[in-house]
Amino acid sequence: MQQVLVGLSRTTILFIVASGLSLVLGVLRIPNVAHGSLYMIGAFVTYTVATVFGQSAAGFFIALVVAPLVVALISFLVERGLFCHLYEREHLMLLLFTFSFTLVFGDLVKLIWGSDYRSLTAPEFLQGAFSIQGMPFPRYNLFLLIIGPIVAAGLWFLTNRTKIGKIARAAAVDREMVGAVGINVSWVFAAVFVIGCYLAGLGGALVAPTQNITQGMDHAIIIEAFLIVIIGGLGNIWGALLGALIFGLTDSIGILLWPQFAIVFPYVAVVTVLLFRPQGLLKSTW
Amino acid sequence: MKTFAWFCVTLAMALVLITAPAQAAKEIKVGIVDCYSGPPATYTNDVRDAFKMEVDKINAAGGVLGRKIVFTTRDSKFKVDIGLSAAKELIYRENVDILMGTINSALALAISDLAAKEKVPFFATFSKSAKITGAKGHRYVFSITENTALVGKAGAAGLAKRPYKKYWIAGDDYEYGHAVADGVWDNLKKLRPDVELLGQSWWKVGEPDFTPYITAILSAKPDAVIIATGGRDCVPFLKAAKTTGFNERMPFFMHTATELSTLKPLGLDGPEGVIGTSNYFFYYPDSEANRQFVAEFKKAYNREPAVGAVYGMLAARFISQAYLKAGKAETEAFIDAVEGLTVDSPVGPVTMRACDHQATLPMFMGVTKKVAGYDFLMATDIVTIPGEEVMPSCEEIAASRK
Repeated sequence: MQQVLVGLSRTTILFIVASGLSLVLGVLRIPNVAHGSLYMIGAFVTYTVATVFGQSAAGFFIALVVAPLVVALISFLVERGLFCHLYEREHLMLLLFTFSFTLVFGDLVKLIWGSDYRSLTAPEFLQGAFSIQGMPFPRYNLFLLIIGPIVAAGLWFLTNRTKIGKIARAAAVDREMVGAVGINVSWVFAAVFVIGCYLAGLGGALVAPTQNITQGMDHAIIIEAFLIVIIGGLGNIWGALLGALIFGLTDSIGILLWPQFAIVFPYVAVVTVLLFRPQGLLKSTW
Repeated sequence: MKTFAWFCVTLAMALVLITAPAQAAKEIKVGIVDCYSGPPATYTNDVRDAFKMEVDKINAAGGVLGRKIVFTTRDSKFKVDIGLSAAKELIYRENVDILMGTINSALALAISDLAAKEKVPFFATFSKSAKITGAKGHRYVFSITENTALVGKAGAAGLAKRPYKKYWIAGDDYEYGHAVADGVWDNLKKLRPDVELLGQSWWKVGEPDFTPYITAILSAKPDAVIIATGGRDCVPFLKAAKTTGFNERMPFFMHTATELSTLKPLGLDGPEGVIGTSNYFFYYPDSEANRQFVAEFKKAYNREPAVGAVYGMLAARFISQAYLKAGKAETEAFIDAVEGLTVDSPVGPVTMRACDHQATLPMFMGVTKKVAGYDFLMATDIVTIPGEEVMPSCEEIAASRK
């Protein structure tokens, strides 16, 4: 029970990051390797903003709002300045291009924040742990469990109930047709890219108090996020949710069942899924 | 006017050319290869800074044998290939007399091989592999830090005095983690045959989330846990221990948990009640020598010295005093002089054992606690485990080198 809850709170972070990646992948067809770097920047900005406010509760929540917006702004500049000229290139070029950005962002973070660890404290009322059946469950993880469904619901609303969401879904299926009916596809793409990167920043902001903010957190998350997107079905947000659930739960339950070899559990799950459904669990938009 | 200016420049250059080789002959050159970028820099900067502080003092007093000690550093970026080529460059181009450094055990072993080939003495300052002075030891390599074998023995000696019977082992799934865990466990079983191992968990290096591991360990209900994490995972693990309340529910031992380099980044968020071992604290031993060292270091760098500072200072003292003892600047005589040499340090006299070139350092086991007046946790209830007690015997070393 405990282990499932812990796994679910990890799932929240994975879902938020992976859904952003999936959104960009589905609509823009960009395998954005720099997504993990934006997540890292989100975490670092959260640290800085929260520290400016003396690591108070209010400061933390302000940071939680500001940091993803900063990341969104960065991504907006990058998209308008560079990516929007490159959509017609082949995937390999785009992949290399976003990869170069992981290096640029990595060094940028090193320049601004240095190579030391940064540590952020959650607000007072989110510190410590509850006891559930005699086992501790960190309060902050409960907070994540509340945030997760809210983000999922927000994404559902965005893609199904708003005009831009509908246009984005249409553009994912056939971008030429969407352009032909008189919609400025380029700006739709920009909006989707910014939303996707906003999610990376949000993931980074949420994860900041639970771990040390450090160089290298970008590589760790991007691999997991890509695996989740692949098993879920490329470009499908609900696939990302399903993938994150599989990844998060096999990880935490594996640790309980077979702690010595727990590292391999999520990857075994990925391999199993791909053996039976190489196209991913849900319908891919590709 | 212009001609005169040119004349001056030429004269100055000529002077530089004449004096440069003359000066070079009167210097003892030390080359330091270490990781100065990324998280390991927290540990390695102290080695370099304390080494510089000590060397400056020696030079101000006229140097050794009338020569000044100079040093130059190279960043290994924690990579074996980069570090090894830097070491080669230091030997062939800079003509260094002595090499030192590396927090990376694999690199230390690689440089050690090179040192043996080129007959250049090498002081390993922060790498914890027991192989450096154990199975792979040789005439040209010295270690002035504890290693996994010593940590294992010291940790076991401390834990055996505690009443725990059922243990769980958890750690980083790489060489250092397994070496520390095996070291502690094998020695603990010898000292206390009644201990029982309930199970083990191993996570990948750089694991982002320790919570599921912690809850799984708690549900197995051991009496105590041995945590074998090193380097970059210490701080995140302790943070997770605090948020889950792991430290309040379960006593656990983690080498380096009490070290300043680990506790300072955590601030007051550090978990209390964690058992850890270290070679040094700036507040322990409470001796005149240590107080003086801390005051000097603080004055020079405006921070408290961590364990690395002691390693840096020891390196400088072994190098300078060995040359004095040898009476000449010659490598073989220098090595003979280092063997068995005892130098003073903030942790008391430290001897370089002749048979394996391992410095005999005391180990301090303490428990983390908040102390008024400091914005980070400190080690309390410190027990000293003398170096002689945990060193493998010369026979064991000889057997492992066969």
